[in-house]
Amino acid sequence: MYTQLIGSLQKNVVLPLEKVANKVFTQSYNPFYYHGALPNFFIWVLFISGLLLFAYYTPTLERAYNTLSYITHELPFGNAIRSMHRYASDGMMIFVMLHMLRVWFTDRYREYRILPWLTGVILLSITFTIGLSGYMMIWDQEAVTLTYITANFLKQFPVIGPSLSSLLLGGELVSDFTLTRLLFLHLGIPLLLMFFLWMHYLRITRPVTDPPLALNLVLLGGLFLFCGVFPVSLGDRPNLQLVSPTLDLSFLYAWPQYLITQGWSTGVVWLLVLGVPVGLLILPYIQKKALRGQFAQVLDSSCTGCSLCYHDCPYEAITMVDRNDPTSRFKRLAIVDPGRCANCGLCVGACAFKAIEIPRRDSQDVLKEIEMALNS
Amino acid sequence: MAKDKKVIGIVCERSVDLTDQLDSNGYLKDNPNVKIVTVPCSGHIQPIMMETALKKGACGTFATGCRMGDCHYREGNKFLRERLLGTRMPKLKPTVDKRRVQAYWLSAVEYEKFKDLIHQFDESLDTLGCPEG
Repeated sequence: MYTQLIGSLQKNVVLPLEKVANKVFTQSYNPFYYHGALPNFFIWVLFISGLLLFAYYTPTLERAYNTLSYITHELPFGNAIRSMHRYASDGMMIFVMLHMLRVWFTDRYREYRILPWLTGVILLSITFTIGLSGYMMIWDQEAVTLTYITANFLKQFPVIGPSLSSLLLGGELVSDFTLTRLLFLHLGIPLLLMFFLWMHYLRITRPVTDPPLALNLVLLGGLFLFCGVFPVSLGDRPNLQLVSPTLDLSFLYAWPQYLITQGWSTGVVWLLVLGVPVGLLILPYIQKKALRGQFAQVLDSSCTGCSLCYHDCPYEAITMVDRNDPTSRFKRLAIVDPGRCANCGLCVGACAFKAIEIPRRDSQDVLKEIEMALNS
Repeated sequence: MAKDKKVIGIVCERSVDLTDQLDSNGYLKDNPNVKIVTVPCSGHIQPIMMETALKKGACGTFATGCRMGDCHYREGNKFLRERLLGTRMPKLKPTVDKRRVQAYWLSAVEYEKFKDLIHQFDESLDTLGCPEG
């Protein structure tokens, strides 16, 4: 039933949407076909605008707010850069989630694509952590309140809760160390992001990492426009004894805190915070493999070692090895990694020597079918 | 003439959805001289399959794949296009009459467009003329 649900979602939601998008953007610039590359645009914007902000940020209790105030009110184009950083973070999260939904609904997330999916869930959690720490770094009254709510939320976890809280705050209470911790979360965790991004691409030959220039420019223009129309503001100078009466939390990055302020119990929110990623991690395993135990078969006697299939395999499932056979005219031989093979048959199309076949569709059968139709 | 004119279509099973459009022998209901052969992905299609179809007397042959950029197996349609255009090995033989070889990139929900394109192809084959069956 789950399989049918995904199938009908693809047929009734994703594909019709893309049909419309093809009319608007044309096939070459359809953003749906660059769903994985679009977050990379935001990574670049965040990296560059973040560097500029980092040049002015001072992570101490006394000066954090002053530097934010300087960037917002005095530095030429300071607020523009801050707005870019803020809205690009929202864009990043939105496009990452759209990317996730699309690979889910088009059934491109399991079996031979398991590594990109699992690392993708980790990347999503990392993005969330980076964004959340960024919201606390602003260090106005609202950000301080957010920090308090978060620390309190962490403290409620059984057994290790108090340690989690002091890990975030750098001690029992908010101090200079808190801001250093936040800066570390915001600048150190992106290194992990880069590491997992590398793993994300590991089993994909020729990954599409960049959207076309035209799409980048449209996005950049949209971002500029958004920053011009809705520049970000800075709240009041924080009083650590008080909590902010109004709290305008971004649901993308602070949804646990938002739910808590709406009166949800901490236990339920913790279940959600842990349950959503765990659920996403086990999601690819609830469907049975469609083609269990099948993978492309190399006919050793026909393989010439030309490595055409090796270059064309889109999942790096084929490797070329030394044949070590003195009776053969050929030096190299293709071998298939069963765990990575998608049974797609791209290697069959690449082979000019009838040396590789997928079990579910033999190329000789296709030829026979064509000949039979023409002889009848 | 129509009886002898045969067109072979090698279609990707994830591209335009033909499950309800075929008769029991695998011919298109809307265009009974078009025989459909299904493969898992357009990247599975070897140019020799299309060459064979023409050599054995088909009037024309076409392939369908998903929209460019949307191949379920990432690059199948791109590779087929490059093979047909002669920029990727194995290539379509240069001696093949390119007017009789077509490739369409359509998603599963675009049967109407597919019908139009096949109709156009069919008419262009009529003007070219077909070998005697």
